[in-house]
Amino acid sequence: MLEMELYSDVIKLISDIRHSKLHNSYDIAIHTEKLIEKLISEGKWNSAEDLMTLIKLRITRFANALPQEATSVNIMRHILKIIRDEYDSGFKNKGEGQQSAHHLGSTTMDDCEDYSKVLPSLKSSLLDNLAEYKVELESSADNIAAQALEHIHANEIILTVGKSSTVEKFLKYAAKSRKFQVVVVEAAPRFLGHLMASNLAKNNIETTVIPDSAVFAMMSRVNKVIIGTHTVLANGGLRAESGVHMVALAAKHYSIPIMVLAHMYKLSPMHLCSSEQDAFNICASPADVLPYSSGPLLDKVHVYNPVFDYVPPELVTLFISHQGGNAPSYVYRLLSELYHPDDQEL
Amino acid sequence: MDDKGKKGKKVGADGLTKKERRALKVETEKSTEINKSSTIEKLSHPKKHVIPPPVSDNNKRVDPEQRTPAKSSSNVDTVKAVISQNTNRKDAEKSEKISAASELSKAELKAQRRAVQEAQRQAKASQKVVTNDNQTPKNNIRSNAAEPPKRISPKKDLEKSPTKHRVQLFHHLYIEDFQVQSLKKYTINKDIHPAFLQLGAQYLSRSILGSNARCLAMLSALKTLIDDFQTPPKQEFCRSLESTLKTSMNHLKTCRPFAVSMTNALRRFKFFLTQIDTNLTDGAKQSSLQKRIDKYIEEEIVIAGQAISNEVNKKISDNDIILIYGYSSLILQILIDAEKAGKKFRVIVLDGRPLLEGREMLRRLVCANIECSYLLINAVSFVMGRVTKVLLGAHALLANGYVMSRTGTAQVALVANSFKKPVLVCCETYKFCERVQTDSFVYNEIADPDKVVTVDVSEKSSYLLNWRNNNYLTPLNLMYDVTPSDFVTAVVTEIAVLPCTSVPVILRMRPVE
Repeated sequence: MLEMELYSDVIKLISDIRHSKLHNSYDIAIHTEKLIEKLISEGKWNSAEDLMTLIKLRITRFANALPQEATSVNIMRHILKIIRDEYDSGFKNKGEGQQSAHHLGSTTMDDCEDYSKVLPSLKSSLLDNLAEYKVELESSADNIAAQALEHIHANEIILTVGKSSTVEKFLKYAAKSRKFQVVVVEAAPRFLGHLMASNLAKNNIETTVIPDSAVFAMMSRVNKVIIGTHTVLANGGLRAESGVHMVALAAKHYSIPIMVLAHMYKLSPMHLCSSEQDAFNICASPADVLPYSSGPLLDKVHVYNPVFDYVPPELVTLFISHQGGNAPSYVYRLLSELYHPDDQEL
Repeated sequence: MDDKGKKGKKVGADGLTKKERRALKVETEKSTEINKSSTIEKLSHPKKHVIPPPVSDNNKRVDPEQRTPAKSSSNVDTVKAVISQNTNRKDAEKSEKISAASELSKAELKAQRRAVQEAQRQAKASQKVVTNDNQTPKNNIRSNAAEPPKRISPKKDLEKSPTKHRVQLFHHLYIEDFQVQSLKKYTINKDIHPAFLQLGAQYLSRSILGSNARCLAMLSALKTLIDDFQTPPKQEFCRSLESTLKTSMNHLKTCRPFAVSMTNALRRFKFFLTQIDTNLTDGAKQSSLQKRIDKYIEEEIVIAGQAISNEVNKKISDNDIILIYGYSSLILQILIDAEKAGKKFRVIVLDGRPLLEGREMLRRLVCANIECSYLLINAVSFVMGRVTKVLLGAHALLANGYVMSRTGTAQVALVANSFKKPVLVCCETYKFCERVQTDSFVYNEIADPDKVVTVDVSEKSSYLLNWRNNNYLTPLNLMYDVTPSDFVTAVVTEIAVLPCTSVPVILRMRPVE
């Protein structure tokens, strides 16, 4: 009972995600941020250490319940980093002031101290910081979309897979001033590509819908592949919608650049645990692949409906976040800026 | 069409005239009879019948065809059709015996299922027509006319805006008003043999799919034609047959572009025509031509298939996990043979929308007691790591070594290649082709775009159902793609196991025509 009350906020979040009340990662991100904000302003904690333990407990709780949903954990992890920074600067302001230049090389060295001291100003400064972070989250998609004109030129053919609200925004932004065509891969059996296509066409973008099987046939005439992703892994690889790997391979075969639009909160310090995708994938209901109406056949066959695909970093050309473009090889660096090294493994 | 349709208006707003409907009816009923006969003769695979018909696209696809005949506007029509059906039955049965013997593949099973339904329906209908002429047919008409108009309406939209909703890159591939146009041809052209009219309808509705099946169906129709052919006065048999053949073939081409297998078979047949001894009587010529066709089927398709099966079976060992894509009659034969040889292996069937031919494959493999898994093509990377061999069928092998096959095949080969798995393409040499092609754009086929939009796998309906209202939206349904030869480890033919690049060698070895 006590535990239930303690975690009621995160349990609610988990159940909302499970019941698909929050279906895109942006909603999840915003909800997580609100949750932590509430925890900071209303929770029972005295020192930074208390607060960090509270958050860490929530992270483990969440990670155990939804291991494949990295967004929420990443947000919480980044907030841990904010807490550490605020705590450090709170004490250092009294002492030495700013330290910047050598900070780059040795983040790990100088702040492994204890966080148990009480800093009265911490709460208010944290709330300020979180408000700032929230604005960053909210404007992230627009910031990414604003870079569209740097990547899309006139008369291009752009291929995208399934539906991503970030990609949708990106393409719509570019369509305001440039004419281009979009080929949407329908991404069976979830068919979110259909929704994406109808949304794009409503914005007067010339849209072609192709089944997943026609990707290779179409790829040779495509200029760019622009996709969203579920998570960016520590090595710069992707955990993306199932089917993206074959799209990426086809693009590689024709030397077509693949751009991945990713919010910073999709960057996860996780590595792919094995080359077989079992530990990292989940399988959805096979009814979408082979309907129940197939009758007795169902007893005799194994039907799989994997949700994710692992895309190795060498197939990705560019990540575009709200800060600009980065090569996959730079992801490790972004990670060390986003999260404190002590928080990477939780 | 519209002014004639006035009479038929109370029947159904499907935009067909009486004549057209009658033509359609004759065809569907004929095909039913054929399928019945093949059902009886197909004792080699008795298990197939055990499996109940799926509620999947197979039935839906056939639906419009089935419904149209029931909507005939007068009793006279129905009676006539019944009579014509009886006359057609004889020759149809005769002709199909051969093709039934030589495994008509996917179309068969589908057709069998249809046959059962159709037979029941017809038993009822004909009973009614015979017993009381006045009342029952009307009821029949009413009940049937209630449903279909929705289904037909998209066709009309298509007629209105022929140039919109076309992908620029594929402009050369679109057929003008593609279904409507060829439906009209049924009535216009009276010198096409009914066997070809029926075949055309089956090609158009894609109820006969796969290049082997299409070729076999064409050859058996050809035999029917030869059987029924009577030389017009003061003309030579071969000459007039050739000209009749030409109109029939043109009709088939409007229904659906030829498969390479068909082109090759037809070319060989024309060669037979030129070779035939002119001193023979017409009857002797007929039987000689039919024998040549039978021999062609036997040598190029049946024995070739067995030879390929033997060859591939040498490569299949215990504990193999074999990945296949879609449906191929040859691959099916190979796997069934391997099972019969007592090998223990698993098969992963990958399938691609919108045709979902893999389900048919799965059904048949399961009937043959082969352990199967089933996934859609987007999961190809998910399973590829575990696979030990990839077996693929082909529509045609091009002279530059590229493989033309159902869309998605290239992708499977690509992923297999990146996982370093051996890819074997199985293909009879009669599907080899002198054409060269490096992309999937120049020569391809565009199928019905509505098929992309219909989501039959899950209960959700697509967001694109009214895509015709938005001019910026275009679903694209490509039939084939071209696999580069780099992805293919070897091609297994009845002659030898070859690298893709040896296709021109085989082409040169072919008898000169």
